[in-house]
Amino acid sequence: MKSAIKKLQEDYAAHRVTPLQVFQDTLLKARENQEKCNSFVTLFDHVEESSQRGDLQNVVYALKDNFSTKGILTTASSNTLSNYVPVYDATVYQKLKDAGAVLIGKTTMDEFGLGGTGLTAHTGYVFNPLDTTRQAGGSSAGSACVVSSGVVPFAIGSDTGDSVRKPAAYCGIVGYKPTYGLISRYGLFAFASSMDHVGVLTRSVYDAAMVVDVIKGKDEKDMTSIDSSSMHLVESLVHANHQPKKLFYIKEIMDITKYSKPSDELKMTFSLFEQLTKKAKEKGISIVGESFDEDLLRAIASTYTCLTCAEATSNLSNLTSILFGPQEEANDVNEMMMAHRTKGFSSLIKRRLIIGSYVLQKENQEKYFINAQRVRRLIVEKMNALFSKYDGLILPCSEGGAKYIDESKNHTSDDLRILENHMAIGNFGGFPSITIPCGFVKGLPVGINITGKVLDDCNVLEIAARLEEMIAYQNPLVKEEM
Amino acid sequence: MNFTKELVDDFALKLLIGLREEENQMVLDEFEEIEHHMDLICQIPNISSVEPMTHPPVLFDETLREDDFVEEMPVEDVLCNAAHKNLSSVIVPKVVKE
Repeated sequence: MKSAIKKLQEDYAAHRVTPLQVFQDTLLKARENQEKCNSFVTLFDHVEESSQRGDLQNVVYALKDNFSTKGILTTASSNTLSNYVPVYDATVYQKLKDAGAVLIGKTTMDEFGLGGTGLTAHTGYVFNPLDTTRQAGGSSAGSACVVSSGVVPFAIGSDTGDSVRKPAAYCGIVGYKPTYGLISRYGLFAFASSMDHVGVLTRSVYDAAMVVDVIKGKDEKDMTSIDSSSMHLVESLVHANHQPKKLFYIKEIMDITKYSKPSDELKMTFSLFEQLTKKAKEKGISIVGESFDEDLLRAIASTYTCLTCAEATSNLSNLTSILFGPQEEANDVNEMMMAHRTKGFSSLIKRRLIIGSYVLQKENQEKYFINAQRVRRLIVEKMNALFSKYDGLILPCSEGGAKYIDESKNHTSDDLRILENHMAIGNFGGFPSITIPCGFVKGLPVGINITGKVLDDCNVLEIAARLEEMIAYQNPLVKEEM
Repeated sequence: MNFTKELVDDFALKLLIGLREEENQMVLDEFEEIEHHMDLICQIPNISSVEPMTHPPVLFDETLREDDFVEEMPVEDVLCNAAHKNLSSVIVPKVVKE
């Protein structure tokens, strides 16, 4: 099984490299990447060896800029936090420090995680390292870029709709969002608490398992975290018994006749999926079509928008500039808060918050917000019924490769709304969900997504690892030994 | 619903957000479409009989922690990002007017 982390650890053990050499090389690559992609909000000038002898000793990594890091600027890529220096550490950051991992910088993201493009950070666009005319995807845009470019073997992201898995697909890497509650969110800036997850971006399934084994666990500081001490992801990958597996795809999404003007990219993505289905069958993984209520599928994007905007409206209400954030001169407190929020939030955030305000108005609550929560239940219950027959759901992550930064060059069609938004199902149900690269379409990587039932992370990772081995994808920017 | 500039400004004001003319127009341009998509939620048959789901159905440990004394963050740390402060207080523009 390929693993950049294991390779680095073997190199350390055999004295082929020293941590200092690795750090210098990493910082050099990081600066080049910053020039090319704008991946970092904060990039350190130098880093020091870790004295912790943990499972990730002197393994370098990057952290999305919405995790609290004591004494280190943390902006969530927003002007409202452009000068904010936290006074406590997020549990994920603390666990990585305890394991000996070495942070090199904080990565650029869509402001507060409310975007899927990597184009809304206060420090500017994030560019896809494989083609700088393309989006890196979001919201964990910088984290995806630095892993794809080979700057670091892993980065931490957060995922509320597909914010780890979509950028992973666009940048040709692995993006894994474990079961809701598996990783503590203490110190992660909340966007939509009922759907926010911590996730990891790596270049292999094995590395994703390694990192999550380190950062998962119950945390007294996060009441939604769960005990997973009996779950050992790496061990389960290593000792996988390669039993036959059964996956399903959603027929209504994979039926090309449902798309009025299917693009070449879509046809090629579907063709890759078909090839994978055939290959997988030979290796004991059957993939069959299942029907899903089209009304529910069509409602996924709206349900996601409604619930996340409503929750964000509440979660971002602490941005007042009274305790933190740049303060504006004003005659009274209300005027001061209003000036801060008006000046600090980007237009996109304002629009999202207004949608949240709209669906939470007394006269709209039942019609939109409560009904969206009902649709969420129907989708999750349907998925759980399917998971009683199958090991997981498998689908392409999007129509094709990364979208253009210049939006006018992208296909926009209502037909694509379900395909482009289906990964939010993983957040509705808290299901473990992983994206792996599946091949190339018109020279750009495309991803495949596997989602399983709650707490079945070991099974989901085993399936992903078997498919990864079968696909034998090679990252164009980092040639790694298989 | 008939969306107007005033209505959009009212939604924004409730969030203590001001909109520039072009931002207000952007919201107005988007809202008809947003409402159309939102309506898809209401078109699910018998939706009102379904119990709302507020969070993923994961079994959380709901045991309350012991009511023990714990050391909390020093006040000076809590206030270190505040723009204006005096000892353990934050200074804001005067609330009570003459």
